[in-house]
Amino acid sequence: MEKIIKNAKLNIEKVKKIYGNSSDLTTRIIKLGKINVGIMFMESSSAALTVSEHIIKSINMIADEKSIFESVFDNLKNRIFNSQMITINDFGKFPYFLSSGFTIIVTDDSDKAIVLETRLPLDRGVTESSSEPILRGPKDSFTESHAKNLGLIRKRIKDENLWFEEVKIGRRTKTRVNIAYINDIVDKKEVKYVKNILKKIDIDGILDSGNLREYLINEKSAFPQVQSTERPDLVCQSLLNGKIAIIVENSPFVLLIPAVFIDFIHTPEDYYQKPLNISLTRILKFISLLITLFTPAIYIAITTFDQIVVPNELLISLAVQRESVPFPTSVEIILLMTIFEILRESDIRMPSNMGTAMSIVGALVLGQAAVDAGIVSPIAVIVVAFTSICSLIFTDIDFMNGIRFWRFIFIIAASFLGLIGVVIAVMIFIFKLASLENFGVSYLSPFSPFNVSAQKDAIVRFSMPKIFKRPNYMKIKNFTKQGGEHEK
Amino acid sequence: MKNKIFILLLLCLFLCGCGNYRELNQIAIITGVGIDKKDDEYEVSLLIANAQKSETTSKEGESQPTVYSGKGKSLVEATKEVDRKTPKQLYFGHINVVLISEEIAEEGFLNVADWLLRNPESRKKFYLMMTKDSTAKEVLEIVSPLESFPSQNIATLMGSNEETQAITNSVTYSDFINNILVEGIEPILPSITVIGDDKDGDDKANLDTTNPNSYLKLETIALFKNDKFKGFASENDSKAINILKNTVKQSIFTINYDDSNVNLSTKNISSKIKIKSAKEFDIKVTGDATLSEINSDTNLNKEQTIKNIEKELNKTIKKQINKAIKKMQTKYKSDIFGFGNLIYKNHPDAWKKIKDKWNDVYFPKIKVNIQTDVELVSTGSLENTIRKEDK
Repeated sequence: MEKIIKNAKLNIEKVKKIYGNSSDLTTRIIKLGKINVGIMFMESSSAALTVSEHIIKSINMIADEKSIFESVFDNLKNRIFNSQMITINDFGKFPYFLSSGFTIIVTDDSDKAIVLETRLPLDRGVTESSSEPILRGPKDSFTESHAKNLGLIRKRIKDENLWFEEVKIGRRTKTRVNIAYINDIVDKKEVKYVKNILKKIDIDGILDSGNLREYLINEKSAFPQVQSTERPDLVCQSLLNGKIAIIVENSPFVLLIPAVFIDFIHTPEDYYQKPLNISLTRILKFISLLITLFTPAIYIAITTFDQIVVPNELLISLAVQRESVPFPTSVEIILLMTIFEILRESDIRMPSNMGTAMSIVGALVLGQAAVDAGIVSPIAVIVVAFTSICSLIFTDIDFMNGIRFWRFIFIIAASFLGLIGVVIAVMIFIFKLASLENFGVSYLSPFSPFNVSAQKDAIVRFSMPKIFKRPNYMKIKNFTKQGGEHEK
Repeated sequence: MKNKIFILLLLCLFLCGCGNYRELNQIAIITGVGIDKKDDEYEVSLLIANAQKSETTSKEGESQPTVYSGKGKSLVEATKEVDRKTPKQLYFGHINVVLISEEIAEEGFLNVADWLLRNPESRKKFYLMMTKDSTAKEVLEIVSPLESFPSQNIATLMGSNEETQAITNSVTYSDFINNILVEGIEPILPSITVIGDDKDGDDKANLDTTNPNSYLKLETIALFKNDKFKGFASENDSKAINILKNTVKQSIFTINYDDSNVNLSTKNISSKIKIKSAKEFDIKVTGDATLSEINSDTNLNKEQTIKNIEKELNKTIKKQINKAIKKMQTKYKSDIFGFGNLIYKNHPDAWKKIKDKWNDVYFPKIKVNIQTDVELVSTGSLENTIRKEDK
């Protein structure tokens, strides 16, 4: 701890020195009688208007009036207009507050400093979610503002048991990271564990929640074990189910742990629509999951090894289509899949006003022309297109990439061993997923281990009044969702 | 534990017997096989479905079926000769239909049965047929205007006929061999023939005319004793055989009533053979019939008329069945209905004594009681005959 000198001028000089005379550091000295009052703020991260309207004005007011307080410091401390005021006596904390947009007042007659909140709202407003859009339900999404993000959660869950615990991570960035949980649902051991992990992180900077996920869980699979979302309603649903949310300053994506496989298939919208229709939608999603994982592999297997399983007419049609194609089937499929992945990747990175050129090149040149030229067969284009469309149903990018990883494994297995290879790869796939566990929850819950009561909200969704319990594969201490007298 | 599972998985690799890498455009997909015998040599004709049309692009997905044939002392030798003629690897997995000529059938089918059965590639569910008055090769070569490739033509022809006509009976390769080997039942086969000049039929021009020069026609059931062909059943006999074998869905019967022909179509006909003793059997036939054509001025509103027509129909069916059984007992001496099989199942001891001479001595002597109960349920869209409804 470094002491604050009882001299405003010297303090200001010192701050200027540690900031290397940065141009955005604004300082001012006001004389109150014999006592110098030093004001420091960063014009880049503080609202200058607030500083002059509230702080300078009140200091001048104080100078005019007679005061009941003896020292200038006490006078200022008690009379400046501001809702957030902290007094500190550690000079070392100055840079953190200044950079965060606070205004610091030092006086000649005290070894303490007054810290006042004058932050500039350096973020966009609460906008519609762009990565997880829904048709019906709340449309707001998290932003880069930490206070707003916490507010979006707090305003939804008004229970005093919704607790936010803060940890600062990053030697240089000093990013605020909040662990949010509902105190009487969640298993406190897990919270403690998460907090310990976060505290141990010693890195120069955390810029997004994505930086943290690798510290939380050693993800051994291509599939994500931490869910990240920008939808506050999903975060609240998960908190109510006993999950822990990790909110990182300056990141619109909130991490949810523990995440299981079906979390990536469900959407928050599932609970805002009719249960019957949503059940069908979910079944559709499971079907497209199977399609997107296996179609190319099975196509390769049945056309190069196991032709016997294809019906007559189909096989002849396939054979005639492949007649002039120069590549082996697996090369053809891998080629097309790679082209699609490149297209997708470039589509994400590319400025949106270049989209038209992209779609023309992608759809016409690569699709139509390649078929016409006889480089790929039409059926291969169909297979790849179908596979790709089905993979776009899932919103989580990590989940999509996990599917892509395994799809390539299946393709390779099919290219070497046909259907037998696919079966072996599927076995490995299931072993692998079933062996995953995060925070005591099995990744394939509630299917493996099979859990009857959790099936009410797994592949199908029962109507809300019939779901009394929180998913009971979770490791939480309170399972009552509705009903039960002593519970909230 | 992990290692054990890994080893188990590795072992799986050696379990895949017929896994074999081949690209689709390297194989010649055979959909029809014809087996003929000329002089002392077998001639195997293979219908290859995916030969590409030269003038069109692959985009259209059309194919030009081609027949290749080769000769040899054995079937394998003959196919080896075909293999030398085709640039692609022969692939037997998708055979639709196998045709055997009369010569082969007369000589005994078991002489040629082994090859396709032993081939691990082929699934044994294809149809087996016999050709009548033409060679198997000729039948394979006929191009049909209604189906995209010939073997499919034969298969659908048989399927639709079996359902509506009841003069043919689809038999798969394995069924046929099964019937040869099972005790107390003799096999049958459907037959097919070429009508018209078969030289025109293999030409694509056959597709361009509205009145094709040659086409395929299904013939009646071919009767076998053991694996040897004995003769063709008549059309009426075929119907009766199909009723007794329960392989008919719809059939048409013409009866004489009031000095004019009445046509009835039957539905859901089923028969049940019950064994009374080793020498006596009961057959019960039930089903529904619909009046499909009547041109006289019979008054159909009378219940008695309907009863009479029904009675006449039952009499006709009974007569036809009786005739068919008699013919099998006397002319062909071949128990295609499986009476012997019923004895084998119900009185195995008695069967042991008679099985050697069953077809020749005991089968002709058995007594069959036929009871028919076919109901006339509907007169179609008209309530009465046209002449009566006018008034």
